[in-house]
Amino acid sequence: MPSQVVVSHFSKRYGAFEAVRSLSFTIEKGEIFGLLGPNGAGKTTTIECLVGLRDPDAGELSVGGLDVRQHPREAKQKIGVALQNPALPDKITAREALKLFGSLYPTRVAPEILLERFSLTEKADLPFDSLSGGQRQRLSLALAFVNNPELVVLDEPTTALDPQSRGEIHAEIARMKADGHTVLLSTHYLEEAERLCDRIAIIARGTIVALGTPAELIARAGVKQSCTVLTTKPLPRGLLTKATGVEGLELEGNTARFQTADPPGTLAGLAALLASERIELVDLHLRKASLEEVFLSLTHTAAPREGLSS
Amino acid sequence: MNGFAALFLVSCRLHFRNRMALLYGYLFPLIFLVAFWVLYRHESVPLLRHMGELLTVSILGGACFGLPTSMVSERERGVWRRYRLTPATTWSLVASTVAARYVIILSSGLLQLAVALAVGMTFPEEPLLLFATFSVVAFAFIGLGLVIAMLADTVPAVQALGQCVFLPMLIIGGVAVNLSALPEWAQILSGFFPGRYAVEALQATVSGKGLEGLSFCLMSLTLSGIAGSVAGAKLFRWDAQQKFATRGGKVWLTAVFAAWLAVGGISVWRDQMVAEAKTLASRAAAEAEAAAPRHEWEKITAKDVAALDYHLPPDEGVVAPFAPSDMAPDDYVVEQLTKVRENISTWAPGLAGDDVQRVRTLICVAAVPDSVQQPCEMFIPAIVLDHLQATFPKVKLIQMLTWIAKNPDAGTVVDDVTDIGVGGTADPELVRERAYFYAIKFVARLTGRRDN
Repeated sequence: MPSQVVVSHFSKRYGAFEAVRSLSFTIEKGEIFGLLGPNGAGKTTTIECLVGLRDPDAGELSVGGLDVRQHPREAKQKIGVALQNPALPDKITAREALKLFGSLYPTRVAPEILLERFSLTEKADLPFDSLSGGQRQRLSLALAFVNNPELVVLDEPTTALDPQSRGEIHAEIARMKADGHTVLLSTHYLEEAERLCDRIAIIARGTIVALGTPAELIARAGVKQSCTVLTTKPLPRGLLTKATGVEGLELEGNTARFQTADPPGTLAGLAALLASERIELVDLHLRKASLEEVFLSLTHTAAPREGLSS
Repeated sequence: MNGFAALFLVSCRLHFRNRMALLYGYLFPLIFLVAFWVLYRHESVPLLRHMGELLTVSILGGACFGLPTSMVSERERGVWRRYRLTPATTWSLVASTVAARYVIILSSGLLQLAVALAVGMTFPEEPLLLFATFSVVAFAFIGLGLVIAMLADTVPAVQALGQCVFLPMLIIGGVAVNLSALPEWAQILSGFFPGRYAVEALQATVSGKGLEGLSFCLMSLTLSGIAGSVAGAKLFRWDAQQKFATRGGKVWLTAVFAAWLAVGGISVWRDQMVAEAKTLASRAAAEAEAAAPRHEWEKITAKDVAALDYHLPPDEGVVAPFAPSDMAPDDYVVEQLTKVRENISTWAPGLAGDDVQRVRTLICVAAVPDSVQQPCEMFIPAIVLDHLQATFPKVKLIQMLTWIAKNPDAGTVVDDVTDIGVGGTADPELVRERAYFYAIKFVARLTGRRDN
């Protein structure tokens, strides 16, 4: 089955600045694909070129088998977009907005259906400027569905939302996948990407530095595990550093934090040390590497390019 | 409902939900109306002479402030960026926005008209023409509004650019200040602003002058509208991140300036042509007036001259004698003749009245001595004829003499010419008779029918 989205050797410059350099990835039908990267990495540029807001300089961008440059109007009929900024006139109501934007497509979903699906029925006739941040974002998601799209593009949909609203949006995104939609999600939140995405592309300096499932990325990165130890009295630094595999030791009162690439060996050495020093263990946490740590390890050399939109 | 109609309806609805838009779109034009009403309160029909100005202000405000403010505000908020995500074409979205703005401006104009009628203005003489002209003016200014919307990066920039267009048109463009009250340079400059043509065309339809002679106004407004629309379309920006300074296609702005310059240039040329035509017409009228016969004697033709009865008493006879040029006077009359020759040009009666009366009086200088049989009588006619020839053009003189001969009883005659140097008082009727003879004898000599 052909890929729903194909991005191949895509490049984009803004004057002398190369925002994206020969970027390539595909998104399969029914997949939630995450784009991760620091500010200025090229995420938004990639999305804007894919949805027709900007013209790419080079490469192929297609949605549902249609080249977005050669067939922009037909491609746009297959795409629904929820922008980072909901961007509607202050006094337009949710019902009017859904009706208006639906009228701009040849096929459309009835506003009432979308209002109900996105829990906006009660707010349907209130002006946009009276809606809360979460309600606005739900309306933005609803607008992305007015044309019953094959591909839903979500550009940082949960930015600046409170945890409750963010949870609601996560539920909606999960429902999109359940309904068989293909989703391209750009986000700053690594936890969100790890939780929602089937695959993730990490972009830095306009190019993909890692691509795969969250688990694959973590495993591939080979990041050390973190260990936190709480004892009845402070552990002696000199002895602890001699334990097997302890790296990056930090001591703060009765708490010790460190990383290890050999958890079994380190924990065995730690147990022997506690016994010999007659120190009681109060608490111990051993945590595998997170996507955040993977992200930081992959992108720490790619400093944000300030003053430029990605 | 298609996208065009949906956006049109939503744009109209949103306008009426925006208090500031209502304030600028309806209240400000009404403030102008009230100000004009108060300012020209002594006019017999309130506001009738100023509806062109008032409607132009209303259209100008709606098109050059309302439209770009709305478009730039929506662009800054990302609304147009969102529109771009849809398959709708640019032209349909812009056309829909423009159509909504036209309806908004039309409603503002109708409100002004209604208020003007309520305070006593008479109904416009040409309502359908007014509607058509209003639409052309709205088209011209909406084109300009589109250009402002594409030039301005922010709403404050719209206000600044709008004022740059609005104020000059208001003050020196003939919109708020009557052109006749402006200095000549401002009147010339006003020809470069479409506001002047808007006022003239609208006022003509309200006052009932019709659009005859206003084809140039409508043509210039249409040209401005087309130039603005084309430039606005070519410079169209979806995204607030696309700053005007960094985008291409600025050359399209020259279309707008070129249209204004062309219209202004043609206007200046037309004004010169009109002025020259007026000068020529007034000169021709003056010449025609000068050429036209103002007096009966000026109608005298060569045929009339030929028709005179030249069967006159002989020159050497008693009645109306006329000495030949080679005949020397006797010594005792030489002094008398010298006095006559010296005094005739300053003789007061000979200077009084119109030309024909002067000629008749001067003939009397010869007729009176003849009537009273003065010895010098036969030498004086030559002196008089010489003086007449020196005083009047020959053609005119022939006409006047002929007319006197044909109307011997008209005018007045002098029966005493003592002042000029020849004594004696004659019978006026006799003087008229002799004057008749001398008039014909003078004509005969002037036309070559008889030698001097």
